[in-house]
Amino acid sequence: MIIGKEAITDYIPHRPPFVMVDKLLSATRERFESEFEIERTNLLVSNGFFQETGLIENVAQTCAAAFGYLDREEAGEPRIGFIGAVSKLHVFELPVVGSTIRTVVTPLHQLGNIYLIKGEIFAEGRILLGCEMKIVVTE
Amino acid sequence: MYANDVKMSWEEVIEETRDFLSEEFEVDRDLILPENSLKDTLDLDSLDYVDLVVLIDENLNVKLTGEDFKEIVTFGDFYQLVRKKLAL
Repeated sequence: MIIGKEAITDYIPHRPPFVMVDKLLSATRERFESEFEIERTNLLVSNGFFQETGLIENVAQTCAAAFGYLDREEAGEPRIGFIGAVSKLHVFELPVVGSTIRTVVTPLHQLGNIYLIKGEIFAEGRILLGCEMKIVVTE
Repeated sequence: MYANDVKMSWEEVIEETRDFLSEEFEVDRDLILPENSLKDTLDLDSLDYVDLVVLIDENLNVKLTGEDFKEIVTFGDFYQLVRKKLAL
């Protein structure tokens, strides 16, 4: 693990109660991985399940944390990113309250300040969500 | 130039490019002409350029950057850039 729960908000602009990532497990220019425990009090939990919107936000915040970490590693300040578009979205299963999800992001292409990434979320060895996302990073 | 393991002439590359651009961006193939504006014809916004880069990479194995697009106005400009990258 490279960023723990206590320090994650140093790398992302989001603040409680809208922090949807706990830990950044690894981050290279080729791959990011994060972890998030679904708590009952989470704003995006409904009927005991973390909703699709929460899963998408989790992918975006995984990107934010990883870009923030990599920017800082390269002696810069973390830049702010925005979701530009979500495509090829497949939601297979929603995680139940109390479970921990693991998110893997693979950057596919970059054009200037726009990144195309592939996001996948897993829990207990099963895939919950897959998507592509365009992230626009401030310059 | 090879596409799907078949050697293609430059003219065939252009026709193939017109096919996949027309399909992806849902534009009449007959509007994809060398003198027409790439941006206006395909109705590209900044996010769409990423899709264009992915398409060109996947179909022609040509990698484009943001810098490459600075000089491109028409499809003719675009074809010349691709041709230069393919060294055809």
